[in-house]
Amino acid sequence: MSVDEDRLMAFADGELSGAERAEVEAALAQDASFREKLVAHRRLRAQLSAAFDGALDEPAPTRLMEAAQPPAAEVVKLSDRRAARWSVREWGAMAASLMFGLFVGVGVMGNDAPLIDAGETGLVARGALASALDTQLASEQAGAVRIGLSFRAQDGRYCRTFNLTEGATAGLACREADTWNVTMTTVSPGGGEVRMAGAPPEVLAAVETIIDGEPLDASGEAAARDAHWRR
Amino acid sequence: MKMTSAADQTRSDIVAMLPRLRRFARALTGQTADADDIVQIAVERALTRMDQYQAGTRLDSWLFSIVRNAWIDEARSRARRGKVFAPAELGEQVGNDGEAEMHAKLEADDVWVAMRRLPDEQREAVALVCVEGLAYREAAVTLGVPIGTLTSRLARGREALQVMLGGAA
Repeated sequence: MSVDEDRLMAFADGELSGAERAEVEAALAQDASFREKLVAHRRLRAQLSAAFDGALDEPAPTRLMEAAQPPAAEVVKLSDRRAARWSVREWGAMAASLMFGLFVGVGVMGNDAPLIDAGETGLVARGALASALDTQLASEQAGAVRIGLSFRAQDGRYCRTFNLTEGATAGLACREADTWNVTMTTVSPGGGEVRMAGAPPEVLAAVETIIDGEPLDASGEAAARDAHWRR
Repeated sequence: MKMTSAADQTRSDIVAMLPRLRRFARALTGQTADADDIVQIAVERALTRMDQYQAGTRLDSWLFSIVRNAWIDEARSRARRGKVFAPAELGEQVGNDGEAEMHAKLEADDVWVAMRRLPDEQREAVALVCVEGLAYREAAVTLGVPIGTLTSRLARGREALQVMLGGAA
């Protein structure tokens, strides 16, 4: 797909403003096939609306209204019926213990070397996690660690989100001199074996608070890695 | 757990979001019954994780990502159990409607079928941007992918849908 078509799609989705928008408008004025493509984008949107917007007018079923009530209502949770899992509270407690260092040194997953360890200024990545953060790209097949987003923080550091493939730990690490400081971790109930490379919302929320601009794309990520994540 | 008024507010915001969550889940799963199961699981998860929702950030993105993860979990666990998804309800409600109405329903059915045929990654992108109207950046954050990845999935998904739906007016 050409750059022009990407632009046109962004225009159709209301993503453009200013000069970019004017550029597409000028192209539309001149090029009938471009206009046809815009019409096709709009038609598809209309078809999707027609197919799915019905949900907005239907009253939500009782079971969904009940699910949104306070826990005191003691409705039987669908997720409980399906699988006995640790509750979020237990996972949360484990994550909190991890953050307070109780599990530090034992190793996050109980494998050989710990992946997260106490450093001088907080938690730092070790072993397979450290080397994945150093060298692994988001597109690469995961070993023990999956890399999610890489980006520059507002203070200039490079940061990367990661998921540990065993267990359900995800987190955010930022490059500090020669180490990766693990700034937060989270454990998602039932998410470990199924979670894709995407970071869970808690991690993304942390990313949002420190990111400068957009995450790195694949080439930006590779370039930053090749430069050893130096600022 | 102590319920703060902020938590109560979030809870009622979630209730207000139910219609959009159902719409998103339908676009994602291609099935109305599956969609409501997924929304129920997602609402339950959201309520147990409310402490992780940061007031002032977008509640819709947060909930959409929980719905999407719930669907990934469900799809994977069904695949492990070797179960197939519920069959399509194609043409089920066609009955005694007028011709125009019937035509509209058939067209909508075509859209559901076409959406089901898209690869998951493209369907998610289309559902968030074209059905839910999220901006690219919000959709990218919801899916946990860089914005360039989002736009290329969106472009491919759209192209495939246009081909499948024949582009006929």
